[in-house]
Amino acid sequence: MTGAPPIFHAAGLCKNFGGVRAVHDISLAVAPASVFAIIGPNGAGKSTLLNLMSGIYRPDAGSVLLEDRDVTGLPAHARVRRGLARTFQKIRLFKQLSVIDNVIAGFHTHHRIPAWQYVWHGGAFQADRARCRAQAAELLAFVGLERRAHALAGALAYGEQRMLEVARALATAPRLLLIDEPAAGLNAAEVEALLDRIRVLRGRGMAVVVVEHNMDLVMNVADRVLVMDYGELLFEGTPRDVQAHPDVIAAYLGAGP
Amino acid sequence: MSDAASPGSGQSRWWGILAAAGVIAVLPLIFPDSYWRTNLIICALNVMLAIGLDFVLGFAGQLNLGQSAFYGIGAYVSTLLIMRLGLPFWAAFVCGVAASAASGMALSLFAVRLRGHYLAIASLGFAVITYQVLLNWISLTQGPLGIYAIAPPPAIALPGLPAIDFTNLASLFYLVAGFALIAYVLLDQLVRSPVGETLTAIREDEVSAASLGIDCRAWKVFAFGIGSAVAGAAGCFYASFVGTLVPDAFFITESFTILAMVIVGGMGTLVGPVAGAILLTVLPELLRGIGDWRLIVYGAALTLVVLFMPGGIAQAVRLARDRLARPRSRAVAGVGR
Amino acid sequence: MLTVAVQQGINGLVVGSLYVLVALGLTLIYGVLVQINFAHADIVTLGAFSAYFFTHALGGGYLPSIGVALVVGAAFGFLINAAVFAPLRERGNELLPLIATIGVSVMLENGMLAWFGPIPYAFDSPYSDQVIRFAGTFITVQSLLIMAVSAATIGLLYAFMKFTFLGKALRAVAQDRETAGLMGINPNQLIMLTFVIASALAGMGGAMLGPVLVLTPFAGASVIVKAFAIVIIGGFGNVEGTIIAGLIVGLIESYTTQVLGPGLIDIVVFALLLLMLAVRPTGLIAERREENV
Repeated sequence: MTGAPPIFHAAGLCKNFGGVRAVHDISLAVAPASVFAIIGPNGAGKSTLLNLMSGIYRPDAGSVLLEDRDVTGLPAHARVRRGLARTFQKIRLFKQLSVIDNVIAGFHTHHRIPAWQYVWHGGAFQADRARCRAQAAELLAFVGLERRAHALAGALAYGEQRMLEVARALATAPRLLLIDEPAAGLNAAEVEALLDRIRVLRGRGMAVVVVEHNMDLVMNVADRVLVMDYGELLFEGTPRDVQAHPDVIAAYLGAGP
Repeated sequence: MSDAASPGSGQSRWWGILAAAGVIAVLPLIFPDSYWRTNLIICALNVMLAIGLDFVLGFAGQLNLGQSAFYGIGAYVSTLLIMRLGLPFWAAFVCGVAASAASGMALSLFAVRLRGHYLAIASLGFAVITYQVLLNWISLTQGPLGIYAIAPPPAIALPGLPAIDFTNLASLFYLVAGFALIAYVLLDQLVRSPVGETLTAIREDEVSAASLGIDCRAWKVFAFGIGSAVAGAAGCFYASFVGTLVPDAFFITESFTILAMVIVGGMGTLVGPVAGAILLTVLPELLRGIGDWRLIVYGAALTLVVLFMPGGIAQAVRLARDRLARPRSRAVAGVGR
Repeated sequence: MLTVAVQQGINGLVVGSLYVLVALGLTLIYGVLVQINFAHADIVTLGAFSAYFFTHALGGGYLPSIGVALVVGAAFGFLINAAVFAPLRERGNELLPLIATIGVSVMLENGMLAWFGPIPYAFDSPYSDQVIRFAGTFITVQSLLIMAVSAATIGLLYAFMKFTFLGKALRAVAQDRETAGLMGINPNQLIMLTFVIASALAGMGGAMLGPVLVLTPFAGASVIVKAFAIVIIGGFGNVEGTIIAGLIVGLIESYTTQVLGPGLIDIVVFALLLLMLAVRPTGLIAERREENV
C-alpha cells in the first residue's frame, strides 16, 4: 500500500487436473516489502496456486507477471533468475549433503567464475568459493543454524530442516519468496521464530508470500490475505477484514447446522 | 564441495595424482611382456569409460546404459575418417570425440523429460540400435567382418626429442593412460566446482534443483556430452590399439560391464570407478581359471555390491578408514558420496 | 495377395500374443512397484529351457511342460523379489533395484551360457507339424495352441484384476501403497504375488516361444527388446494398453519380416519405442499423472 508497483501480479489463473478445477480465475498482486498470505481449508488449491506462481505448473489460462515482465511461459528455474524463490510443503532438502552444502547449492545463479576456471581453479574461483562459504554462513546464522553447518541435512530435526529450506531459498537472492505451509509440523516457539524471520525479511524489502491453512498464524504477520475455497477466490483484504467476513467464517467453520 | 569428506581435498589430492602418474610411468617397466601390456591398455580404456559413466550416473544421477554405443561411435567414426578419407589421426580423433559427444547430447535431449527408468530403457534402446547399425550397414562398416589393418597413432616428433613411436605397446599405454589421467583430472576439477554441486543437486532432487535456478535439462545434456565424449576418446584409442574393429566389441554387454565397474568402484566418487575398472579388468586375468565365468562374476559383483555395499569400494575404504581412526565410535553409515 | 496378408496377420497375432504374455509381466511389476525387473527376459529363457528339458530329457508332454515352465518362472520371480527388491525397498533409491537386476540378468544369462552352451537347442513341439488349412491360409496347431493358451491366460488375468478382491487389492497397491496398507492389505505380500504371477507368465511365454525362437541362453533377451517397447507404447502399468500394443508389435513384426531381417526389425521396433517416448511417454492409453509437489 505504499503505491509502489506490485512485484508480482497474477491475472485470471486457471488450472484443471483431469476435470477437477484446482484453481479457477484467481488474480492477485503482491507489493514489495510486504507479507501476502494465501489461506483456505485443505484442498482449496493453495499449493496449486503456488506452483502456478513459481512455474512448476503452466496455467491453462491467465498470466503471471514478475516485476512487470510476463513470465507465464517461463519454466520454474528461469523464474529464479528473475528473483523468485520458494520452499516446499513437503521438505525437499538434499538430505545426503551437509547443511552448508545445501545452502551453497542455492548460489547457483550467482557464481562469478569465468568458464575456464571451472577446470583450472584460479583466483576468481577461489574468491567465489570463499564468498559462497561466507555468505552461506551468514544465511545459516540468519535462520539460527550456524552451529549445525556441517551436519547432514537429513539428520536435522524437522523444524531445523524447514529453516534450512528457507536459508537455501534465500541463497538465490530473491526479491519474492514463496513459502508453502511453513508451520506444518512446527511447535509454537519454532513458528514464532519463523514469523520473526519473515518480518525481518520484509523489513529488508523482500516480498514474502505465505501459504497456510492455519489462520491464526498469518494474521499476526500478513499485510494482505487472500482466502481460497474450492479453487476460487473467496475474499481478499487486510487480516482484520478477512476475520470479520461471513463467507470466510462459513468456509472454515461450515455454513451452519 | 566444501564439506564432503572427499578423499584428499586440497594439496593431498595433487600428491595422489602425482603418485598415479608415477605408477603409470613405471608399469610398462614392471610388465615387459605384451600380454600384460595389452591388459594395461585395456585397463586404461576401461578407466576412461568408467569415469565417463560415473560423471553421468554417479553425479548427475542419470542411468545411462548407452556407453557402449558412444564407445563404438568414437571408434568407428575416427577409423572411417582415417581409412576412407585419409584424415590425419588427431583430426579424426577430434571428430570421433565430437561425434560421440553429439550423440550423447542428442540422446539426452531426446530423453530429457523421461524419468529414471524410461531414460535407462531409452539409452539401452540407443545402444541396441547403434549396435545393429554397425552390424548391418555393411557398406559403411563392413559389418561383422570388421575393418582391418588399422594403424596405430602416427609417431609424434617434438623438436629436440626423439620421435615417440606408437607401434610398441609401452608408448601406446603411456598415451592412453596419460589421456585417462588427464580426463580424470579434468572431470575431478569440474566435480569440485559449482558444476559438481549443480549435478549433485539434480541427482538428489530435480524439482528442488529447479527451485534454485538450475536448468536441469541443459545440465543433463551437458553431463551426457562430457560422459560420452570421454567414451568416444576411449573408442578412438581402442581402434588404433586393436587394429581390427568389429561391432561385437560394442555389444550392449559392454554397457553392463562398464556399469559394473562404476558400481563396484563406488558411483559418485570418480576415484572409485577407477578402482572398479582396474579391478574388474585385472581380476579375471589374475584368476585365470575364470575365463568364461568372467561375466558371471561381473553380474554377481554388481548385484552383491548394490545389495550389501552400495557405495562400492569407495564406501568400504571409507568405513575401514573410519573404523581405524576411531575404533570405539559408532560405525558411520553412508551411501555413495 | 489378400491371403498373404491374412496369413501374415495370423502369424503376427500369434507372435504378438506371446509378446503380450511377456510384456504383461513387466507391466504388472511396474504397476505395483514402479520398478523394472531387468532379469524378466531371462525368466522367459529359463521357462523355455525348463520346458525343453521336461519334454526332451524327461519325455514329458508338451502341454504339461508349459505348466513346468510356469512353476519355474514363478519360483524365480519369488527368489528375485525376495533377494533383490524386498531388501532394497527401504532404501528409497529408484535406480538401485534396476541396477541390481541388471546384475542378476548378466549372471543368469552367462550362467546359462556356461551350463547350456551357445549352440541353439532344437525345441520341437509335437504340434509344430500339424497344420490346419482354411481359406488358402494355414495355421499350425502349435500356433493355435499358443493363441488359445495366451488368450485364456490374458483373459483370466484381466478378470482377476477387475473382478476379484485380490486383483482389486493389487490395483490399490499400485495406486497408493500406503493407503492400501492402511486398508488392511499387506502390500509386501501383494507385491510378492504380483512378482510370482508376472514371472509365471514369463515362464509360460518362454515355453511357448521355445519352438518358435532360436533357443539359446539369449533367447529371452531377443524378446525383451520388444517387451520393453510394448510396455512403453502401451503404458507402464496399463494392462489394456499392453495387450493392444503387444498385438500391434506382433503384427508390425510379421508384416515387415519379409522386407527386413530380424536385426532390422529390432531397429524398427526400438525406433518406434523412442518415438513413443518422445511424443507420449505415458503410453497410448495411460492417463497423465501430474507430479505431486
